[in-house]
Amino acid sequence: MRSKQMIAMLLAGGQGSRLGLLTRVMAKPAVPFGGRYRIIDFPLSNCTNSGIDTVGVLTQYQPLELNSYIGSGASWDLDLNGGGVYVLPPYVQGSEGRWYSGTANAIYQNLGFIDQYDPEYVLILSGDHIYKMDYSRMLDAHKKNNADLTIAVRPVPWKDAPSFGIMNTESDNRIFEFEEKPKQPKSNLASMGVYIFTYSELKKYLTEDNADPNSKNDFGKNIIPKMLGDGRRLFAYSFEDYWKDVGTIASLWEAHMDLLKNPPDVDLNDRRWPIYAKNPVMPPHFVGPEGEVENSMITEGCEIYGKVSGSVLSAGVIVEEGAQVKDSAIMPFTVIKKGSKVVRSIVAEQTVIGEGCEVGQEDGDIALVGQGTVLPDGYKVMAGTQVNNETLGEGK
Amino acid sequence: MKETMGIIYTSKDEFSMRELSSNRSVTAIPVAARYRLVDFQLSNLVNSGIRKVGVLMQGRYNSLMDHLGSGKEWNLHTRNNGMYILPPSHTGASDGYLGVLDGIMANLDFLRRSNHDYVLIVGGRMVYNTLYNDMIRLHEDSGADVTMMYTRFDPVAFDFSNTSRDTRAFVGVNDEGQITDIEINPNVISYHNILMDVVLMKRTLLMHMVDLAVSRGYHELYESIIRPGIVDKSMKVMGCEFKGYCRRMETVNSYYNLNMDLLDPAVRKELFGKNPVFTKTRDDAPTKYLPGAMVKNSLIADGCEIEGEVENSVLFRGVKVCKGARIKGAIIMQDGYIGEDSLLENVILDKDVTVLKGGKMVAPKQYPVVLGKNVTI
Repeated sequence: MRSKQMIAMLLAGGQGSRLGLLTRVMAKPAVPFGGRYRIIDFPLSNCTNSGIDTVGVLTQYQPLELNSYIGSGASWDLDLNGGGVYVLPPYVQGSEGRWYSGTANAIYQNLGFIDQYDPEYVLILSGDHIYKMDYSRMLDAHKKNNADLTIAVRPVPWKDAPSFGIMNTESDNRIFEFEEKPKQPKSNLASMGVYIFTYSELKKYLTEDNADPNSKNDFGKNIIPKMLGDGRRLFAYSFEDYWKDVGTIASLWEAHMDLLKNPPDVDLNDRRWPIYAKNPVMPPHFVGPEGEVENSMITEGCEIYGKVSGSVLSAGVIVEEGAQVKDSAIMPFTVIKKGSKVVRSIVAEQTVIGEGCEVGQEDGDIALVGQGTVLPDGYKVMAGTQVNNETLGEGK
Repeated sequence: MKETMGIIYTSKDEFSMRELSSNRSVTAIPVAARYRLVDFQLSNLVNSGIRKVGVLMQGRYNSLMDHLGSGKEWNLHTRNNGMYILPPSHTGASDGYLGVLDGIMANLDFLRRSNHDYVLIVGGRMVYNTLYNDMIRLHEDSGADVTMMYTRFDPVAFDFSNTSRDTRAFVGVNDEGQITDIEINPNVISYHNILMDVVLMKRTLLMHMVDLAVSRGYHELYESIIRPGIVDKSMKVMGCEFKGYCRRMETVNSYYNLNMDLLDPAVRKELFGKNPVFTKTRDDAPTKYLPGAMVKNSLIADGCEIEGEVENSVLFRGVKVCKGARIKGAIIMQDGYIGEDSLLENVILDKDVTVLKGGKMVAPKQYPVVLGKNVTI
């Protein structure tokens, strides 16, 4: 096989427990976002748009939804001869099987996959951020710096810096120190979890790391500090466009609200940088004679007979007469029945909100209704709470 | 069930539907906010389990080619079978085929190289959603030579005020479901059953009959093959009734009415609720409603941006409706730009039409005005 300049490895195995009930039945990258997308569409589309045609997706937690969503990769133009997208679950090697014990271990266990393509560089991505980034520019910087590892960073507000992995750099962007969640940050450049490794170095360090029984097998905790200690050439690559971590209910909700800004923080309709998604095969959406839609995003298959404002609706959502959806994100195929009111909430896929329900409140934290929930008529979900069929059953 | 292959006979570009069809085949006309007519025909075939479909092209078929691509969107990009574009070969007249038989004759190899038992020939002007499986079963069980689908003729549903060169045929059906008579392009109709241009027969029989007819100078399937067979009783021709929503695109009015019918949930259920309708995708973002948008009773595709008022209308992908613009009873195709404070009533805007600030265009509902592709007003 012809060798590739760079292939991408996407870490999609995290449990995403901070997303509560949303990730009870699916991995975080499979969570619907922005009406017609899932979170993983952003890194996958970025790969396609950056000219990367081979992507390995490492899964281990609730992979079914993600596997079926990725399918052949045709939606992202990643169904190619000699390339494409591959789902890589942990597998049995020899007599023993092993779960991915950390981010570095997940890549280590798939060195065989990478070797097939004999790449010069490997791009490592995570599947829980909303952003549009040209990885080919980052590779240019990596080559120009003759780097062993380039880490994409972005400035974060100083007050938030203690909750990120912070890079301390020289004036030429060379990283001299990495601090995981420092109490007294010296810099506000946070790691985005996007790495370009020169493959020979990556392979060497992963192999060494695997042999170390005390290692947590994690890029941030083990690999990066080790490389710094060895005096390797680590550089920061600064990215200043929109980038949003959607790892919590609140940040996932905020990212949806960011789409409604005018102009939006991240333009999904940019023909030069399209975000691809699997096509749901649904008719156009319909706004009924009494429907009202304002400051919202609506996609195929929706039927709006009630009132929608400040919200993002996914494919096939039905808002019945007299129902109201305000400042919320509604995921695919959910029905909001007559007279219900949904405010400041995330309602997951294939949920039925019964008649006259109240979900969320004008003030307070975001409410969440989990996937497949059937809310009985007149039910109230308070701000900041999460419900699904199980919690409803317990309440009885 | 035996293996069936499909052939779609696309109509020529012509002026029966004014600007809508002057540069493209009727089969390629955009419809229902994100589809083209051919999507319904292809989806019906694919949903019925038919894996090999030939599309007989003629006239300016670039628009259709562009839309169909590899057939991927209809799952017709399989290793064997799949979609076959059959480009025009002008053996006879210079202006396209004189009838469907010429088209089939010119592509006889497509039939010869297949090994399917049956061929289903589907016309390119009809819009409906159905599965052909019952029809194929009826054909087998009845031992018919030919089976044709028809529907009850409703003068409201079929507008024939424009005479096109395409054949429309009415049939008499007896109690056994056998077709007893067929009349073609009548002024006064004798039967209330109109053929839906869906004809099923054995592949080998079709090849044989096409050869017989074309070599004697005939061009039309109904006229030269099926009617004589009915008259001299040499052929058993069965009818299969379709009872759902069905429209034939023949005039601008019929096109306008189809789109407006889709604002009725019952019609949407008929056309989209039964079996999926596949189409080419464009990766547009969801439609964005800005503050101040007012939309009532309208069908809207993805990728639009709406800041004005839209009522009783159909908006295709990527339409921008600026602040203060008012749109009523309009059909606006892909990437239309409707400027500030403009007014549109009962108009059909083809792709990429720009209405500048304050532009105004009001037509009577009975005669919707068509604005051709790329026009600026």
